[in-house]
Amino acid sequence: MSEKEFEPIIVGFLCNWCSYAGADLAGVSRIQYPPNIRVIRVMCSGRVDPIFILEAFKNGADGVLVAGCHLPADCHYLAGNFKALRRVLLLKRVLKEFGIEPERLWIEWISASEGDKFAKVVSEMVKEIKKLGPNPLKRSGGK
Amino acid sequence: MGEGKLKFAFYWAASCGGCEIAVLDIDEKILDVIHVADIVFWPVAMDIKYKDVERMSDKYIDVCFFNGGIRNSEQERMAKLLRQKSKILVAYGACSHLGGIPGLANLTDREDIFKKVYLETFSTVNPENLVPKPKVRVKEGELEIPEFYDTVHTLSQVVDVDYYVPGCPPAVERTIYALETLANGMLKGELPPKGSVLAPLKSVCDECPKKKESKKISRIYRIYEKVVDPERCLLEQGIICMGPATRGGCSARCLKVDMPCTGCGGPCPESPEQGAAMISALASILGVEEEKEKYSAEEVEKIIDQIVDPIGTFYMYALPASILKRRVMRK
Amino acid sequence: MGSKVGAVLVVGGGVAGIQAALDLADSGFRVYLLDESPSIGGTMAQLDKTFPTNDCAMCILAPKLVAAGRHPNIHLITHAEVEGVEGEPGNFRVKIRRRARYVNPEKCTGCGVCARECPVEAIDEYDEGLSKRSAIYVKYVQAVPRTYVIDRERCIGCGTCKELCRAGAITYEDKDDITELSVGAIILAPGFEEFNPVVKSEYGYKRYPNVVTSIEFERILSASGPYGGIVLRPSDGRIPRKIAFIQCVGSRDSQIGNEYCSAACCMYAIKEAIIAKEHVPTKLECTIFYMDIRAYGKDFEKYYKRAMEEYGIRFVRARVASINEDPSTRNLILRYIVDEKPCEEEFDMVVLSIGMRPPKNAKKLADAVGIKLNEYGFCLTNPLSPIETSRPGVFVCGAFAGPKDIPESVAQASGAAAKAMGIVASERGKLVTSKVYPQERDVLGEEPRIGVFICHCGINIGGYVNVPEVTEYAKTLPNVVYAEHNLYTCSEDTQKRIKEKIIEYKLNRVVVASCTPRTHEPLFRETVREAGLNEYLFEMANIRDQCSWVHMHEPKAATEKAKDLIRSAVAKARMLRPLKKPMVNVIPVALVIGGGVSGMTAAVELARQGFEVHLVEREKELGGNLRRIYYLLEGEDPQEYLKNLINEVNKCSNIHVYLGAEVVEVSGFVGNFKSKILHGGEIKEIEHGVIIVATGATEYKPKEYLYGVDPRIITQRELEEMVYKGLFNAKTVAMIQCVGARNEENPNCSRICCSEAIKNALKIKEISPETEVYILYKDIRSYGFKEKYYHEALKKGVVFINYEDSRKPLVVKDGDRLRLVFWEPVLKQEIEIYPDLVVLSAAVVPNPDNRKVAEMLKVPLTKDGFFLEAHMKLRPVDFQTDGIFLCGLAHGPKSIDESISQACAAASRAATILSKSVLELEGIVASVDEDLCGGCRICEAVCPFGAIEMVEKEGKISAHVIEALCKGCGTCGSACPTKAIKPQHFTTEQILSQVKAILAG
Repeated sequence: MSEKEFEPIIVGFLCNWCSYAGADLAGVSRIQYPPNIRVIRVMCSGRVDPIFILEAFKNGADGVLVAGCHLPADCHYLAGNFKALRRVLLLKRVLKEFGIEPERLWIEWISASEGDKFAKVVSEMVKEIKKLGPNPLKRSGGK
Repeated sequence: MGEGKLKFAFYWAASCGGCEIAVLDIDEKILDVIHVADIVFWPVAMDIKYKDVERMSDKYIDVCFFNGGIRNSEQERMAKLLRQKSKILVAYGACSHLGGIPGLANLTDREDIFKKVYLETFSTVNPENLVPKPKVRVKEGELEIPEFYDTVHTLSQVVDVDYYVPGCPPAVERTIYALETLANGMLKGELPPKGSVLAPLKSVCDECPKKKESKKISRIYRIYEKVVDPERCLLEQGIICMGPATRGGCSARCLKVDMPCTGCGGPCPESPEQGAAMISALASILGVEEEKEKYSAEEVEKIIDQIVDPIGTFYMYALPASILKRRVMRK
Repeated sequence: MGSKVGAVLVVGGGVAGIQAALDLADSGFRVYLLDESPSIGGTMAQLDKTFPTNDCAMCILAPKLVAAGRHPNIHLITHAEVEGVEGEPGNFRVKIRRRARYVNPEKCTGCGVCARECPVEAIDEYDEGLSKRSAIYVKYVQAVPRTYVIDRERCIGCGTCKELCRAGAITYEDKDDITELSVGAIILAPGFEEFNPVVKSEYGYKRYPNVVTSIEFERILSASGPYGGIVLRPSDGRIPRKIAFIQCVGSRDSQIGNEYCSAACCMYAIKEAIIAKEHVPTKLECTIFYMDIRAYGKDFEKYYKRAMEEYGIRFVRARVASINEDPSTRNLILRYIVDEKPCEEEFDMVVLSIGMRPPKNAKKLADAVGIKLNEYGFCLTNPLSPIETSRPGVFVCGAFAGPKDIPESVAQASGAAAKAMGIVASERGKLVTSKVYPQERDVLGEEPRIGVFICHCGINIGGYVNVPEVTEYAKTLPNVVYAEHNLYTCSEDTQKRIKEKIIEYKLNRVVVASCTPRTHEPLFRETVREAGLNEYLFEMANIRDQCSWVHMHEPKAATEKAKDLIRSAVAKARMLRPLKKPMVNVIPVALVIGGGVSGMTAAVELARQGFEVHLVEREKELGGNLRRIYYLLEGEDPQEYLKNLINEVNKCSNIHVYLGAEVVEVSGFVGNFKSKILHGGEIKEIEHGVIIVATGATEYKPKEYLYGVDPRIITQRELEEMVYKGLFNAKTVAMIQCVGARNEENPNCSRICCSEAIKNALKIKEISPETEVYILYKDIRSYGFKEKYYHEALKKGVVFINYEDSRKPLVVKDGDRLRLVFWEPVLKQEIEIYPDLVVLSAAVVPNPDNRKVAEMLKVPLTKDGFFLEAHMKLRPVDFQTDGIFLCGLAHGPKSIDESISQACAAASRAATILSKSVLELEGIVASVDEDLCGGCRICEAVCPFGAIEMVEKEGKISAHVIEALCKGCGTCGSACPTKAIKPQHFTTEQILSQVKAILAG
């Protein structure tokens, strides 16, 4: 039997107003993208707590996408996206210390009219994470 | 031994010994302890062997205060043994509660530690490149020493723990509170719910006397870089203080001498992780005032660059208790 | 004069009628919604998808159907017609004939046993005759009301249904009855009738089974249609490989008397071609035969381009002369002429893009109501009063006022509602009842009992995701005590089912796996609320937009993903807690930004209803673009209109006009905004409940064709001014269309330039008949009744020359003269002329201030910089943010009548808020656990709305949330280092449970 190709699982935290709407638009436009992403809707990218991201990696996510409204002015809640950006960039440094490639954590700005961009981001992310291989936590025994 | 008296035990595992001293820091209150309890096991103060513990009947000890994390096989064996022999097992101090400072070793592993300690430091003279091995043959026979683990564990990751006393070391009032609560509880049968951290629910900020005004900060300073205003919140002055993300109960003793909290009290009751909680909090307020001007990745990276050693800062005491627990080694 | 009546009759229950009814009912009026057919829904209910977003028509319509059906202030009168109207505005008496239904609607449960057992087969009109129904029937599955009706023409009176009906609803002896209604105003929205192409015998419709109409094809595409959404040929059930679409069948055809353009056919043909290609698994070629592609609406041109470039749909500019059938294959041979060469081509199937005709009973209705029809038999209106009929107090909207697409019908419907409100405003709230919900069940302390309802969405989900398998899987999840799957979970009958199951299984949490919560969550929340559950004990899994539709070729992976998404939704549902909705008072004042025709109209409509309005205009005078429009295509005097409108604004004591002013800051929320207006160097602060954005647009300053280099090269605007001022003097005029539009930089069509060019060409021919006028165009887009003027221009000798992007005309200076070089496609040669004037039809470009306004209001823009409405199809004047609306050119290029309709619509939508004294807000806000809060003030620093204040208690501080200011973003919850502040409905434990569940597959 041939080895099955590694299919990463990506958890996406999408803000309700822009990115989730963009993902819906990708659907409405029938833009096909790989089925590797699992979306969790939050009202704002500013709701995304580093704790959610760490838990996602701990539970085996191969990648995490945080997506919100475009900087600097699109956030439905004025400035949640800035907080998300700083948290994610700081968390990436910490992830590196934990031995998890920071490249597994993406932050993207996707508007409600960018169904195509959402699909593209997911496709690219799947491609890049396939190159990285599975979440290293899944391979290590814990010690 | 007194009739009707409780039986207490103290033990240390991977710790600095500070917790042992902290027990004595309660001063004359120790006499009250002796009044209600006999100390049946305390290697640092008594001449007693492990064999003596093994000979005790199960649940013989009423309350065992266990300090230090678990980083070798001996500590694990003793944790399991004491669990078996104790009615109540208390993780006493940051190391057994959260892994403590030794827990930072989880950023590396045994191989790297041995290499560094036994081979690479300047002061080391080890021409034969010897590193500890669990079993060594010498002419007298086979020598066995405890196995050193790759990962430091908290006590509760190894055995079932009833209560936790936070702090590095626990503040005097925490020790007194724990002793009184557990002694009275045992005697009256009114113990706190299992799993309780024997400390207040609120964060260090609640106990900190410094004035809090606005948490919008734009620059980070290390403590030696700035003469602080002793009246004002240190975090608001750009000094990273773990107080907001750290469970109180220490009377903000560090803040009272103008030193920032480093987080020995561990996470707040509903916070799943102290490190991530502080990362999120700090990243939220750092640069918030100029966020609409400075939001390019480069500019944000520059802002973050001010945080020197993030993992050492945010996970100083609680790395083994964090969500990811340790670094994944790529070997 | 008799006293006024706070009720309105809406005739026609299509999407326009429903919208008008909902607006009126939400603003405190009783509505009678009358439809000739046994259920509401109209044509839109028959459509498969809608352009340009390819939204599933039923999916977006169903929530409106249900809302209308369950609204306490809307009284449905179906299977009925108007017989006569007496009285005057404010107090009409309407005679209604209710046709016998033979089924008692009070008793009928819509169970459908009767229809299953009925021995009669009749033609199904809903499926356009492509399938059969029984004599006792319901129009379609999601029909509202879901009450059966007996077709007595077909019924044989066997008594089977009567015997079977457990509810005892069958009444064979039922008779028509006449009732009289008292209403203050009437809105006509009877829609249109499809053109019957039998008249066009050359196309062989009804003779050749594989020639179908576009609406029949729409049914063929639909999952609920005759072939279950699989594209099949009617003759033999084979999957077609080559389909031809023929445009303008029954439109733009003076031979048959339908001179006008039907406005929507180009777009629906493109849509049907795209959807057909998506529905056919094998290779399918689609060809559209057209005269001009009229993709003139918002984002339509992009859709047209995608059809060509991505879907490979072939567009052939040719009129098909005849269709003949090959009797052996039943294939169709089309004859047409391209480039003067006769061609013959064989297709498997032909779709005729049939036009819109006035509704069948238009004449009868017009007589009964006492209104005039226009030359084509549609309702007579005037471009400057596009919603008013010839009888005061009677208004019109939708296709009855002229062929139009859905968003325009919806906008006009809201506009008509505003007009009606203007008449009966004094009677607001007098004839309404408020909805009473059952006592909320206390579920705290109960173990979660979750019911999961999984939607097939026709084949939208069921075609790609194995729904039965997913349902079985859902049953195995912890705390799930019930799971089922539905053809359409959003339909009225399923709402009833959900409520029944909540009671039957004592459910205390409900999960629906279907489409996106962004559109459907309100509907389901309402349903669980009606069953006595707190509405927040509901969660959705989006297995369509983010699963089945995007993984159409991977059914297995899509099924697995659907399971993961449902597992996550169930995990969250387990953690859900009931929430209370905060109430806020509404300040009954509007802020209108922009004092052009749209802004003024909106202001006047609101003022007429008694609301106070602040009207802010940046310029020193009112009027906007209309100040520079001197003629209308239809002949009315726009300047006279403008003068009257400005007078009305100035006369109105409750409109405060600020000229040379700017809104510089907006804070607050629906019902309670606070804004700062910079006026005359001073800041004035106002408080208001709603905002209407009417910031207009501007004419593009061309960079092309030597504009600005030579004074003889001007824009249409400049030409109009020149003509008006009597400065026109040219023997040869060349107009170039699409300058700054339909190109790389601005892919969209500016909609009005073709009509403007025709208008000015006709004006030139009027004042100087000998002047030669050339119009170089890509497609002439004189949609709707404007087509008439295109014909007139042709008749008057205006020369129309088609150009393509690959061969754009060239303007050069040749000594003193201007030389225009262009390719003549009929003669197939390059032609040079020397015009005295070159007139550029410059695009309509967004107001450059839009970006600033959008940032201030936190509302989105489209890629090209116009404001982006909440939903392209059904919420054309709403923003996603409550209490903010848009209208006019700020929304996109449009003509004056369309701007007026939209402005009235914005006023109507605004009135739905301003008419309430108290507004119920969203319950998703943050709350602080005071036992945990350390008072660090981090949340206070990150809240952008100032919704967090610090309160002191016994010398210690802790955070407190001001609920009316909190928008529920949750940023504080993530920043809080102790997790004492909890964003409700998105708590840390809820999201973590989702994270863990989603990865537990």
